[in-house]
Amino acid sequence: MHLDDRLFHDKKLYLPLLIVVLILPWLPLGQAGPYVIRIATLTLLYMVLAQGLNVVPGFTGLLDLGYVGFFGIGAYTAALLTIHYHWSLWLILPLAALNGALWGVLRGAPSLRLTDDYFAIVTFGFSELIILVIKNELWLTRGPMGIPGIARPELFGVVLDQPWQTYYLILFLLLLVLWVVVRIRNSRLGRAWFAIREDEIAAECVGINVARYKIIAFALSAAIGALAGAFYARWFRFVHPDMFKFWESILILCLIVLGGMGSISGALLGALLLIPLTEVLRIILPSEFSSARYLLFGLLIVVMMRWRPAGLLPVERE
Amino acid sequence: MNTGRFFLVLAGLVLLSLSAGSVWAQAEKIKIPVAAPFTGPLASFGEGIKNGALLKEDEINASGGINGRMVEIVLADELCDPQEAAAVATRFAHDPQVVIVIGHLCSSATLAALPIYKEAGLPAITPASTNPEIGRLSSYYFRNVYRDDFQGDFLAAYAEKVKKFKKVAIFYEVNDYALGLKDAFTKAAEKLGLRIVGAESYMAKTADFKAQLSKFKMLRPDAVFIAGYAPQATLIISQARSLGLKCAFFGADGLDDAVLLKNPDAEGLFVTTPFLADQGGARVNDFVEHYREKFSLEPNWFAANTYDAVGMAAAAIAAVGLDRGKVRAWLAGVSSPEKAYQGITGATYFDENGDCLKAALVKMIRDGRWVSAGEQLR
Amino acid sequence: MPTTLLEQSSLFLQQFVNGMTLGSIYALIAVGYTMVYGVIQLINFAHGEIYMLGAFLSFSLVSGFFGVGLPFVLAVTIAVLVCALAGVLLDLVAYRPLRRSPRLAALITAIGMSIFLQNLALLIWGGQIRSFPRAVIPVFLFAPALQFGEVVVSWLQVVILLTAVILMVVLQLIVHYTRLGRAMRAIAQDQTAAALMGVNVDRVVSYTFALGSGLGGVAGILVGLYYNAVYPTMGYLAGIKAFAAAVLGGIGSIPGAILGGGILGLAEVFGAGYISSSYGDGIAYAIMILVILVKPAGLFGRPSSNKLYRG
Repeated sequence: MHLDDRLFHDKKLYLPLLIVVLILPWLPLGQAGPYVIRIATLTLLYMVLAQGLNVVPGFTGLLDLGYVGFFGIGAYTAALLTIHYHWSLWLILPLAALNGALWGVLRGAPSLRLTDDYFAIVTFGFSELIILVIKNELWLTRGPMGIPGIARPELFGVVLDQPWQTYYLILFLLLLVLWVVVRIRNSRLGRAWFAIREDEIAAECVGINVARYKIIAFALSAAIGALAGAFYARWFRFVHPDMFKFWESILILCLIVLGGMGSISGALLGALLLIPLTEVLRIILPSEFSSARYLLFGLLIVVMMRWRPAGLLPVERE
Repeated sequence: MNTGRFFLVLAGLVLLSLSAGSVWAQAEKIKIPVAAPFTGPLASFGEGIKNGALLKEDEINASGGINGRMVEIVLADELCDPQEAAAVATRFAHDPQVVIVIGHLCSSATLAALPIYKEAGLPAITPASTNPEIGRLSSYYFRNVYRDDFQGDFLAAYAEKVKKFKKVAIFYEVNDYALGLKDAFTKAAEKLGLRIVGAESYMAKTADFKAQLSKFKMLRPDAVFIAGYAPQATLIISQARSLGLKCAFFGADGLDDAVLLKNPDAEGLFVTTPFLADQGGARVNDFVEHYREKFSLEPNWFAANTYDAVGMAAAAIAAVGLDRGKVRAWLAGVSSPEKAYQGITGATYFDENGDCLKAALVKMIRDGRWVSAGEQLR
Repeated sequence: MPTTLLEQSSLFLQQFVNGMTLGSIYALIAVGYTMVYGVIQLINFAHGEIYMLGAFLSFSLVSGFFGVGLPFVLAVTIAVLVCALAGVLLDLVAYRPLRRSPRLAALITAIGMSIFLQNLALLIWGGQIRSFPRAVIPVFLFAPALQFGEVVVSWLQVVILLTAVILMVVLQLIVHYTRLGRAMRAIAQDQTAAALMGVNVDRVVSYTFALGSGLGGVAGILVGLYYNAVYPTMGYLAGIKAFAAAVLGGIGSIPGAILGGGILGLAEVFGAGYISSSYGDGIAYAIMILVILVKPAGLFGRPSSNKLYRG
């Protein structure tokens, strides 16, 4: 068993956290309440994204520098289906995830044989191309005009228009994703991924179908990214190509580097620390520095790789 | 190992500082937030917005504030980025002391912030976003600037009737503002019989425009319409000249910026603008004089429009008090020339979408300075 | 569209000149990627930022941003030297401690340094596009050097092209005919064996970074002058494209970097001129992906090897 999820097994650790997360919207936060809920929603969204990204670099050891592409695909899939067909969120979520998975496979299949740095470059180029298409194909995406006026999420015909409702919606999605990821990670599939990560050739030799397992990882990772994107579009109610810049890929990478690549609880912790931090920095830094606050994130990556490459909550094994 | 508990405490602290930071001190001042890019590539536009707002703040406070309460402009830098704009908007939307927002500059930022303001019932005035859809999407959004489509129409008419151009090429940035301009201009030009000999696009992050400009050179247009922003426009004009492209250049209000004055190649460039500093009554002259005094800069139209937008916000609060719904209703009531707000950019009143009808003016660069074009089109 | 054959051909020629200039710039940056990759198999993502630094430093020194305005030639020399030093420091601080770590760690560190340096520049110089003051640049650079009919080639374009070619020849000579070059090739083949043979690996890697970064600085200055635009994000896009050029030519090969840069520059300009101007960047990405997928060793590469310096 992988002990990386100490967090999930030690009641003293996870119970208080879980309680805070569950009752957060009802805490007496005063005036700041709705604002805190919004930041919390954003944090949970990035937790979903971090879990999704984690599947590829964390479990198979391949660096994905273009994760934002899937986030964008999911967001635009949801935006277009909502605007044109007014479909329910609960139909759109799986469709967006499926579309994401499709592109994940399309991207992954040809790059199976690539070594780490070339794979990273291909993922980067691929996602830049996706964003370029979104920006330029006006007939489909309205390009830089963005798509405004996307309907809110709804459940059984009830429109979720309160901040706490969206909060619980993304919490639900996060728990769902966590369930899937933890289950898979502890299954045969997960063990095969770790074998590939440790030594691809050895894995191949003991009869693991490396290509097949890698493709599954790509599809799962992309599907989670697109799922998050679909939620994002319905929550923001506006999508625009500028929301899916290269920087977002790096930010999500930061989250799992901080938490520890391959570590499920680490990815959660990374988002919990860094996403609220960007908001705190915005508030406490003077205006002329606030745009350069990502300097700290660059530094953080370098420092982590130098002194704690396995992250704050490293994957431990017996 | 107790790292786990350590992080729990850390996470709690993060949450705490977040809520502490978002609770504002000093209840006595009336806060008017102004959101725009104050850093980044469009910072010089943002600076006009900031300065215009601060000048108005000074004036209001010097004359005793709004019903005795001082005004405080709260600046929020959103880098013209939709996500940053949404984050900033959320902060304002959930701050009960905020009853109106001035902003944003880029239409994409405005469109990202729009649903947040709408849900919170928070009215907003944009002094600079010209995307036609903004008014349609929210009854809480007002603007004291004209729309892209109006400006595009106007430029085509000016190019054809005043400048007597026969063949024009369009060089547009791939962004919402420029695409709106290009489409409106193209449509109007067709009606007027002005020939569009070529249309090429560029992306904001590039600095190499020579491929497209070389093409224009062979088309021999009378003029090139640059639909985009000043930082790229100045590069475009210089590169065009170095390729030997000798035609005239013109653009819309996105080119109204001092950066072009430093470029000797830009001599003769003309642009539309909602505000002319050298043509107006005593109030405009006062504004220009105070602005120069305070900031040692020439005011641009962003400054003038923001100055008026803050003025309208103050007038609304003075009339109906600190109530979001009432402030919105007051602004919506400014709906005819008789009820218009008289500012330095002329009379501002809103149609049923919260859009305003305003004249576009033309200015040009002569001897390294912006001057009103000799002929205006009314 | 232009109609006559003369117009068509002069447009073609003009685009060719534009493309070659752009290509020379990519080549100059690409060499920095290729040299470092050749020696330690690391994609130095922060190399684009060194190039940006070159542009900003020369701008700041001539325009008196730091208080004193220096003569053009002196400013440019200092800028190139500082870039070389910055490259060495970058390696010392960020990469050297990770020499024995998995390659993924060094790659992620490189991305971190790139983000860090880009934001540092934003903090120091702000996000606006800066331009060189006209008065301080030698005037002749902007004058036309050649003119056939409608086609104009400026002195600056000639300078850029010549710089690229000359520096490339010099580099080839260094790599193939000096002790340093031999040491570089030895490390590229087998780092451990080279160390055992008495090669001071750390020192050679430092020299490699110095050379590559110095060239990056030169490219930054030339580009800053050519477009007269200096801004913090300039390194990111140019860096990626230069990397694509390096991959296209066969990463690790210096002549490959030149050829790759040239092809990429031409493809981009002709793509923008004849296909679609909005997809100019896309062409570079698409070429890069295709090359990696179809012929990862690039035009000048030997298959099944990414050990370098064979050009």
